[in-house]
Amino acid sequence: MTLDYIAIAILSSLSTASILLIATLGLAIVFGLMGVINLAHGEMIMFGAYAALLSTRLGVPFPLAVLLATGATALFGAVVEILIIRRLYGRMLDTMLATWGLSLALYQSAVLAFGSVTPGIGMPQMTVRIGQYGVSAYMVFLIFVAVSCVAGLFWLLTRTGYGIMARAAIADAETASAIGIESSRMNTVTFALGAGLAGFAGAILLPVFPATPSMGFALAIKAFLAVVVAGPLPLSGTVTAIGTLGTAGGITSSIWSTAAGDLFFFGTTILILRLWPNGISSLWRYKL
Amino acid sequence: MFEICEATGGYRKTVIVRDVSLTVAEGEIVALLGRNGVGKTTLLKYAMGLTANFGGRVILGGASLAADRAKRAKAGLGYVPQGRFVFPRLTVVENIASAAVACGHNHRDAVKRILSEFPALQEKAHALAGTLSGGQQQLVALGRALATQPKLLILDEPTEGVQPSIIDELAGTLLRLNRQEGLSILVAEQDLDFCLSISQRAYIMDRGTVVKEATKDVLLADNHLLQNLLAV
Repeated sequence: MTLDYIAIAILSSLSTASILLIATLGLAIVFGLMGVINLAHGEMIMFGAYAALLSTRLGVPFPLAVLLATGATALFGAVVEILIIRRLYGRMLDTMLATWGLSLALYQSAVLAFGSVTPGIGMPQMTVRIGQYGVSAYMVFLIFVAVSCVAGLFWLLTRTGYGIMARAAIADAETASAIGIESSRMNTVTFALGAGLAGFAGAILLPVFPATPSMGFALAIKAFLAVVVAGPLPLSGTVTAIGTLGTAGGITSSIWSTAAGDLFFFGTTILILRLWPNGISSLWRYKL
Repeated sequence: MFEICEATGGYRKTVIVRDVSLTVAEGEIVALLGRNGVGKTTLLKYAMGLTANFGGRVILGGASLAADRAKRAKAGLGYVPQGRFVFPRLTVVENIASAAVACGHNHRDAVKRILSEFPALQEKAHALAGTLSGGQQQLVALGRALATQPKLLILDEPTEGVQPSIIDELAGTLLRLNRQEGLSILVAEQDLDFCLSISQRAYIMDRGTVVKEATKDVLLADNHLLQNLLAV
C-alpha cells in the first residue's frame, strides 16, 4: 500500500461522506428545527433528480437545472407542509406515517411517469490524479459543495431573522409565539428549506446517482441513521456523525469492499446509539 | 389602557380562573398578588392567549385583541414568563433579536438599546443564554420582551430564583422604564416587598378570582388582609 493509495482512499472517502452529507442536510434541518421526521425525504431527493433531468433534456444548462430543481422541490415542500404536516404538529408518529404514505405515492408516480429505469446524464469526464491513482473531479467538487452547503446553512440560521426565529420556535414554541413569532410560518419556510435541500441533493448528485424511482431509498437509509446518530443539533451533530461514520465507512469500503463499508457504517451506528441514545449532540452547547 | 374583561380560562376543559376583570391605566404599575396556585400565572397566560379561553375579552388601547398569540405580542403585550424560558441555544443577542424581528423592528437597534439598558449582559452578549445564571436569564427574558416595544409589560414572578442584587436592579429598571418611557406594567409576584416597592395598585387573587383591589397604601396599612390572603 503506497502513500498515493492512502491519499486517494482518503479523498474518495471524503467525497463519499460529502455525498451523504449533501443528501442528509435537508432531513437534519427539518428534524432539528421542526422535530418532524420526513420519511418522504428520499423521494424529495428523487423529485429533485427528475426535475433536473427533465430540465437538462429540455436544453437547460446543468447548473441552471440544479437551481430549477431546488426551487421546484422547495415549492413542493411548502405545499406538503401546508396540506399535510401542519395538521399533524406534535404527533410525531402520525407525521411519520403521513410522510411515509407520501413517499410511496411519489415513488409509484415516478414509476408510472418515467418507468423504473432512466438514462443518466453522464459524469463530466475529468479526473484528479495522484500518482498512478485517479478519482473523478466531480467527486472532489462534491466535497466543496458539501462544505459550502454547511457554511451557507450556518449563515442562514445564525445571521438572518428567519434563522434566529426558527431556532427560537423549536426551542420553545409557546414562548416564541408570546414574543410575536409565528411558528406556523417558520415551519412552512423550514420544511420548504429542507425539501429544497433534498431537491438540490438529487440534482447535484445526478451525475453520480442517475434518476430512478427508487434512488431516494438508497440515499435516505443512511441519511436517517446519520440524523438519529447526530441528535438535536442539525449542523454540528450531522457533520460529526457523517464525518466519522461516512469517512470511516468509505475507507473501509475502499480497502475491502462496499459491503464491508456498509457493515462498518451500520455497526458503528449501533455502537454510538448504545452509548448516546439521544444522539451524540444531545449534551453539546452549540448553536446548531 | 389595558383591560381584562370577565376572563374565564384554563387548560383543556379545566377552568382555573373564573370571571376575572382587571384594568391597568396608562403609565401605571399594577401588581397581581396571591398565594401559590391561585391562578396568577394562568390569568397572565390568558391575557397572552396561551390558555383556553372559555369566556371574556382582553382589550388593549380600546381594541379587543384577537385570539392569535403572535398577534397579541405584535399588538403590544410584552411577556416575561415565569421561569424565564430564554431560548437556551440562542445567544443573548439572538434572544433579543428574535423578538425584535418577529415584531417587525430593526434588530440591531433593539440589541443596542437593550444592552445599554442592561450593562450586566454586555460581556455575555455572545454567550448562549442557557449558560447564564438565573438572574442574568431574567434580564435576557425582560430584554427580549422589551425588544417587542410593548405598550404593556406583563411579568410573571420576575424575582423567583434571582439573587437580591439583581432583584434591586430589576426594580430600578422597571421604575425607570415606567417613569421615563411611560411603560405600563402588570406584574404577578409573591415577593411582597418587591411589589410594593414598584407598584401603585394591586389586585389580590384567591381561588381563581380577584377578591380584592387595593392601593399600595391600603395594603401597607392592612396587616390582617396581608396575613389572610398572602401568607404562604
